[in-house]
Amino acid sequence: MFFRLYKYSIFQSVRCKLVLFWNVIFPVVLGTLFQMTFGGYVEEQVIFRRIPVAYASEQEDGAFGQLLKGLEEDSELVKVQTAEYKKARQLLKEGNVEGVFCEEPDTGDVTLIVAEQGVNQTILNSILKQYQRAKATFSNIGRENPAGIQAAAVRLEEERRYLKAGSVTEASMDCLLDGFYSLIAMTCLMGATSGLSAATDFKADATSLAARRAVAGASRMSMLLPDLAAKITMQFLYAAFSICYLSFVLGVELGEHGGLMFLTALVGSALGIMIGFLVGVVGKYSYGVKEGLCIGFMLVSSFFSGLMFQSMARIVEMYAPALNQVNPATLIAKSLYSLNIYDNLGPYFHCMGNMVVLILVLGMASFLLVRRERYAAV
Amino acid sequence: MGTVIEIDNLVKRYKELIALDHLKLTVEEGEIFGLLGPNGSGKTTAINCILALLYFDKGSVKVFGEEIQPNSYEIKKKIGVVLQNVAVFEELTVQENIDYFCGLYIGDKKLRKQYVEEATVFSGLEDFRKFYPKKLSGGLLRRLNIACGIAHKPKLIIMDEPTVAVDPQSRNRILEGIQELNRKGATVIYTSHYMEEVEQICSRIAILDKGRCVAFGTSEELKGMIKTGEKIHLEAAGLLPFHLEEIKELRHVYKVDYREGMLEIRCSGGKHNLVHILDYFGKREIGFGRVYSELPTLNDVFLEITGKELRDSAE
Repeated sequence: MFFRLYKYSIFQSVRCKLVLFWNVIFPVVLGTLFQMTFGGYVEEQVIFRRIPVAYASEQEDGAFGQLLKGLEEDSELVKVQTAEYKKARQLLKEGNVEGVFCEEPDTGDVTLIVAEQGVNQTILNSILKQYQRAKATFSNIGRENPAGIQAAAVRLEEERRYLKAGSVTEASMDCLLDGFYSLIAMTCLMGATSGLSAATDFKADATSLAARRAVAGASRMSMLLPDLAAKITMQFLYAAFSICYLSFVLGVELGEHGGLMFLTALVGSALGIMIGFLVGVVGKYSYGVKEGLCIGFMLVSSFFSGLMFQSMARIVEMYAPALNQVNPATLIAKSLYSLNIYDNLGPYFHCMGNMVVLILVLGMASFLLVRRERYAAV
Repeated sequence: MGTVIEIDNLVKRYKELIALDHLKLTVEEGEIFGLLGPNGSGKTTAINCILALLYFDKGSVKVFGEEIQPNSYEIKKKIGVVLQNVAVFEELTVQENIDYFCGLYIGDKKLRKQYVEEATVFSGLEDFRKFYPKKLSGGLLRRLNIACGIAHKPKLIIMDEPTVAVDPQSRNRILEGIQELNRKGATVIYTSHYMEEVEQICSRIAILDKGRCVAFGTSEELKGMIKTGEKIHLEAAGLLPFHLEEIKELRHVYKVDYREGMLEIRCSGGKHNLVHILDYFGKREIGFGRVYSELPTLNDVFLEITGKELRDSAE
């Protein structure tokens, strides 16, 4: 019976033009508008993802210059331009480079000159600090234990690898991507209306259809589970379609972890469906009121995740970080962002874990509300 | 013949309103049982209690000899329900809808396919299999509603006002269909506020008013409970009060009502009442137009028992 009811529930979703509009057409239109408005800027950000830096030294093969060259070739973290000091300052002034490294030929001391503060400048500073630390270490070892130089060199090489692995990934760090992630999150959360529909077809005091199902010779759960499964499936497909459209048609670089992005879409869709289902089973308000609640929640949640105002998620993180831990749209967008921005999956799984917990809480609350099988009035 | 439904002392309140007031009914196997009453009389509430959809305050409901509970799936498998409002999926075709609901009762795919086909033909929907409900007329939609309720061949069919807002042609077809289902062995509970329908198809009838069963029996038994045996209508202009008094004195006449040139005379049984009345008009040389006589209806039963018209109450 499960697969037959699942099939019919899929038919229902596919044949409802309104559902298709909001879940397929609307995200496509919104995504296209995003891309048309900000696309050029995004592209620019992607092209200059390596940090442009100037290296000024009178000595041709300074130690730090060698390090920078290595970083440029191995990790593609920086793009080095060797120039005289004045020229280097000029490049910095004109904004062609993010920082200038000056190496004293006599002492080998290196200084960093930056024009402003930001993530890139922090990274450059980090490179310098590590170099200075290594240099100091080597000087000490050379003075006190010359035989240990070889081991120290190996250690330094490991540290350089760490520098590469611990840095941001190659993909774009621009915050405009947040908007696309929020759009995917919104598509997932649009499942709330489908969840509401599942609840309406389930509560015998809501519609005649639900009453007919309630008096049938089959348990109510055996009818509900295929319905929810079908709605989650469809919502996942809508979200997956949005991801594919953004990636392949609009050419937005959403990230490399395709499989995990789809997993996020699946869990996010389940979250959206469960939100709508809970709204549907609470109270005896009309369908219109509940639908308004679902849409309102989806919009507010998306707003706080940065759909309408890209910096909103960061503002919330600053002033009300707990909200970001439970806001469904933020969790979905943040998990996608984490995939793109961190080399390790810890932050991603943290977000996914939060979403799973939310789904369980919503599911249990819904179950407690619908477990009664008789009604005061129908 | 066993008892299919046994309702004993059933009380259901909606806050201050008493929807069912110590209702007591039994429905026997193989009959078409009519629940007649105006809107708000408690018919649908009684049906919902039978189906274990509603909490009730007092009493018991037994179906096929067992107290019905929401999880009495084995009992529910024997019941087919046609609710007052059309309850089908808008996004599924006629055939898919019937298959969906039949499948909630019948697991075997081959048998279900056969039942769905039979229900489609029975409901006269064979030409509309691929139609979506919104493309169907009101009558066809009602037939689909019925097909979804009876496709699994239930032993007990509960129909809650299945002919509301249906054209006469479809209504007749639905009523004939119900009788056919009954001939095939199904027990039917039929609720309506259309007394003609109930009188036409039901073997026994319970008349409900304000949640109480005010009369119970066959159509003839119910009519036998009231004073009116015959109603005579006569079109006559210019009758004076003393004429009405004299008519009221005629044998078997117990009530005379004269409005807008139309005289209604109620007689308590007896024979040749019309002959006596026409004889009076002849003697008095009073001219008259249309004349007709009719036997009492269930509306008359309701009128005499409750003091109000069934039709008026229903509107």
